Amino acid sequence: MSTHQERETFGNFFESWIKEQNKDLEDLVSASKEYDQEQTEESLVPLIDQVFQHYEHYYAEKSRWAKQDVLKMLNPSWRSNLEDAFLWIGGWRPSMAFHLIYSKCGLQLEARLEELIRGLHTGDLGDLSATQLRQVDELQRDTIEKEKEISEKHANHQETMADTSMVQLSNVVTEMLRSGEEARVADVMEEQVEPTLEPKEEGLLEILQMADDLRLKTLREIKKILSPVQLVHFLIAAAELHLRIHDWGKMKDARNGINR
Amino acid sequence: MAGMCCGVNMSETESSTPTEPSSESARRRRRMEMHQFRFVAPPLENGNKRKIIDGISPERVTNNALQINDDNQSHELVGDAEDVEKEVPRKKDIIDSSSSSKAEFEVVTEMSKYGITSVCGRRRDMEDAVAVYPSFCKGGNDGSADLHFYGVYDGHGCSHVATKCKDRMHEIVKEEVEGCESSTSTWEEKMMRSFSKMDVEVTNWPNQSEEGRVPSSTCRCELQTPHCDAVGSTAVVAVVSADKIVVSNCGDSRAVLCRKGVAIPLSSDHKPDRPDELIRIEEAGGRVIYWDGARVLGVLAMSRAIGDNYLKPYVISEPEVTITGRTDEDECLILASDGLWDVVSNETACGVARMCLQSRKLPSPPMSPGNDMVVAAGSDSSDKGCSDASILLTKLALARHSTDNVSVVVVDLRKNIKS
Repeated sequence: MSTHQERETFGNFFESWIKEQNKDLEDLVSASKEYDQEQTEESLVPLIDQVFQHYEHYYAEKSRWAKQDVLKMLNPSWRSNLEDAFLWIGGWRPSMAFHLIYSKCGLQLEARLEELIRGLHTGDLGDLSATQLRQVDELQRDTIEKEKEISEKHANHQETMADTSMVQLSNVVTEMLRSGEEARVADVMEEQVEPTLEPKEEGLLEILQMADDLRLKTLREIKKILSPVQLVHFLIAAAELHLRIHDWGKMKDARNGINR
Repeated sequence: MAGMCCGVNMSETESSTPTEPSSESARRRRRMEMHQFRFVAPPLENGNKRKIIDGISPERVTNNALQINDDNQSHELVGDAEDVEKEVPRKKDIIDSSSSSKAEFEVVTEMSKYGITSVCGRRRDMEDAVAVYPSFCKGGNDGSADLHFYGVYDGHGCSHVATKCKDRMHEIVKEEVEGCESSTSTWEEKMMRSFSKMDVEVTNWPNQSEEGRVPSSTCRCELQTPHCDAVGSTAVVAVVSADKIVVSNCGDSRAVLCRKGVAIPLSSDHKPDRPDELIRIEEAGGRVIYWDGARVLGVLAMSRAIGDNYLKPYVISEPEVTITGRTDEDECLILASDGLWDVVSNETACGVARMCLQSRKLPSPPMSPGNDMVVAAGSDSSDKGCSDASILLTKLALARHSTDNVSVVVVDLRKNIKS
């Protein structure tokens, strides 16, 4: 029963975090507008730090709850089916961040191409400098490499579900059920099945942790590359994408009569 | 790419590095400029993605009086209207990231002004390679003038053929240019031999034990045959002297000259459905099969490449060579992989590049004296223009949803600014 409450608690935390992200988004949008009206770029830093603290908090909580029930974190009931289908190891795929940058950069570039051609600075993501583009590209390649490593580790771990101990144990228990030895099955569950499944879950926890670490690291590295005003544009785009996909997924689920 | 300018005067490299985003003064400068020049840019003429919007039409070549100097070897650029508006098929997705190459590199030498941008973009693997070697050898009529080398290689199957081309092609060309046969052979012959040697090297490379040449690639295929037979690369190489531009092309990367605002293609893409290429492939006994676009044997979406041993003799490494006399009206040369050309027309690319060069040449908008931005503006020299042009073209390709690696080299050809 306690597990049930814990599950609920992360779901509740997620809901409140979504509200917080909504608020952050509003703050970011108004800050980006104020910046256009003569604020100094440094004035954006406290807000950016606040938004980042919220991301860090999210992953700290996620890590805490994952230790309690990693399976739940990998099968998150607080997400819609749409989001769930696009998750990579319990969260957003880190390399998506670069597509987000390039897509937003493209939109802002096309909007003000003439200025950029003339060598003027727009300050937004369309104005990524040579150095920034190189850094983003390097980070992207590095992130994809790490992503592949974790995916490979995940694959290896998933394959252990059919290792000898699992195959043997499933056979033993099946035979017991067949010969009507239900009483012994409970003992085997406790003595052998649970201890065999435990490292499977532990492995998942480790992989989830690596995936979440990569997600957070990617955000932190992007923070180092972009200027404050570019970062505000990036955080706005990221929040908008996250919040709207969440909404759309939930609407879809509601239409399909799914109550997650 | 870090090592590509060995032995080159890089004295201005550091000073020409673009302003760091973290610089406070840069931010202030950006902000001020932004307020001074706010207006709405006109929409670009073409938002279509995944379409070639620039075929190479014979009319355009002749109308622009493309000067092909070397009489005996003149090689007409043959294009066809059918090149226009074709879907470009994706090459096979294969894993490797040639992580050694940098996204961007910018350098100024006394003789060569250029900018390079090369990014992974929306692909998960980097298979492009770019090589720029200013003053890579002596040549010209009297054999004493500096020649500059620019090459773009777009690998497929894996990155190692493109990487090998980047490392070796200029050395091979140099051997040809400075070799004893040089005086009796034409540019076309030299480049033909160079590409042929390059092809032999990549074909034999994994199997031969070259002393001192340990395969450096950390590629997915790990240079294993038969994997390696299915690996290749495009190659578009420009050798630029004081009076001419020799472009040798093999595959679907492209070189475009911007002359007095007009885009003049100096290479013609080798696509399997280019009529002359289709005939050549079929005469060799090969077939072009439409499978996600026209492909040789239904596999490779280009009709010529370095490597690709398994598709010989249908896919050949022989380049088409054009020799173009330089004029005072030449503005810049753009070499790029199809990551750019798939989504940006020759005309747009030239328009963007020349405007970048022109605007960087002009003095920056007047600023209050003593402001640090004046100092920063002082570094806005023409080489900055090349770099800005290559970055802007790359970002434009990404903006237009290019799904490939994007590599762009912009070379400033304006005579009046050459030292």
